[in-house]
Amino acid sequence: MSSLVCKNVGKLWQAPQGLAVEALRDVSLAVSSGEFVAILGPSGCGKSTLLELIAGLEPISRGEILIDGERVTGPNPKVVMVFQEHSLFPWLTVEDNVAFGMKMKGMPVAERRARAHEVLRRVRLEPFARHYPHQLSGGMKQRVAIARALVGNPDFILMDEPFAALDFQTRVLMQQFLLEVWRDFASTILFVTHHIDEAVLLSDRVVVMSAGPGRVLEEVAIDLPRPRSYTSAGFNEYRVRLTAHMEREVMRAQPAELAA
Amino acid sequence: MEAWEVGSTLGPPPSEAQTAARAARRVRIRRRLGLAAAMLAPWAVLVAFWEIGAARGWIPTALFPPPSAFIRFAIESDFRVGFGREAMPIPVAILASAFRVVAGLAIGFVAAVATGILVSMSKVAAAALLPIVRGLAPIAPIAWIPLAIVLFGIGEPTAIFVVFTGVYFLLTLSTVAAVQSVDPRLVKTARTYGASPKQVWLWVVFPAVLPQVFTMLRINFFAAWMAVLAAEMVGLKNGLGMIIILGREVFNSNLILLGICIVGITGYLVDSGLVWIQRKILWWQAER
Repeated sequence: MSSLVCKNVGKLWQAPQGLAVEALRDVSLAVSSGEFVAILGPSGCGKSTLLELIAGLEPISRGEILIDGERVTGPNPKVVMVFQEHSLFPWLTVEDNVAFGMKMKGMPVAERRARAHEVLRRVRLEPFARHYPHQLSGGMKQRVAIARALVGNPDFILMDEPFAALDFQTRVLMQQFLLEVWRDFASTILFVTHHIDEAVLLSDRVVVMSAGPGRVLEEVAIDLPRPRSYTSAGFNEYRVRLTAHMEREVMRAQPAELAA
Repeated sequence: MEAWEVGSTLGPPPSEAQTAARAARRVRIRRRLGLAAAMLAPWAVLVAFWEIGAARGWIPTALFPPPSAFIRFAIESDFRVGFGREAMPIPVAILASAFRVVAGLAIGFVAAVATGILVSMSKVAAAALLPIVRGLAPIAPIAWIPLAIVLFGIGEPTAIFVVFTGVYFLLTLSTVAAVQSVDPRLVKTARTYGASPKQVWLWVVFPAVLPQVFTMLRINFFAAWMAVLAAEMVGLKNGLGMIIILGREVFNSNLILLGICIVGITGYLVDSGLVWIQRKILWWQAER
């Protein structure tokens, strides 16, 4: 069993003029093995920053993040991150993109190719192993990015609005694909989104964040049987509740933005 | 024979797919022929006016001999130019100039990418090297010719050095700019997959900047090409630049125009080679 705990995490961005911008304040969060947690919040609420702190890409200003009881001080092989789009290396084929992390660790070429192909077969992308990213559609690219995240058997997969740039149909297919992956690979997923429907559809638990500075407003357990759809019974209640929260947050954040 | 032809016309009719494929191929061929005609037509018109103007006496042939005259001159002189010890077959002159410019571009490109990445990696290296690069970048490559002749004498190193100066400083600055524009998501992705800072430079930043810097190389190729010809004209006394300057020295307009045409064609071919590299080897561009 692996665990991820954020304890009173705060993040200050040092602006060039010497002013510090507070991106996160007092964020506490616990994620356990096998969970699918969505972080929901208006844009600019620091949800992407939180993921970067967990991934060890940025130093933490206050508090601490523990993965299996160990403090995060830098990138950790137990945690991988999937970005919005365009995070595949355009000069590498699909198989080499998937094998990138293993190459960095110095694994021999035959072994890492074999492992890459195994994952690609499981996500039904093997026919495209020799393709380059520009030859793939947006949805296929994100599937490759997810395959790349899975290949190292990470304990936690962090996803920063991975489907935000996709059209609605592709997005629906990708959501189904992600749920299959989550089930088949028994991964733990922390998923950032500003789509309420997406959060309710996918996750066991929604963490609602507020804007400027980002704080955790509340956690809502989504107690709906799977498989779910946008038309499931009970779906709408969660949607209404979360929408009300989001609206309040957006309205609260707006005057500050207009004043600035 | 006749029976065979009759037999073939009585064979099974072509399927719809075959007919469609044949029609598509015909359209494709017609489109290609159209483009080829569009490419050649302006040249044909230019040469036709030139030849007719020369024949009718509208154009002074002593100054502007038409292609028929300078091409005949080239054939008659057995594709050799110059006298005595300096005589040189035209193909050798073309290869000499092309070799110089390609060698200078290659050395300049490799050195510029290396310098650009080094100064992007280290603030100390940036403080030490960038002001020098920025101070030397505005100097025209032609201005280096006298110094290069003093330093390297009359020969290949001078020509290669002049091309090098024409691309190195600018490409170093564009490498620095390209490094700054590398998509931070690619760098972050590499880091979450365990790439060390050195590995990020080697496996992410380096391949990410190559296409952009190569595009700058292509833009600067023409300036470098001109610089090589200038060097050949004033000092080296061989290569394509020499053909033109020799024509001036002996008042032979055929030689001047022949030289100009070969310079244009050779430059076009080298640039086509650069386009090929751009498309086939460094084809990726950062997606945004």
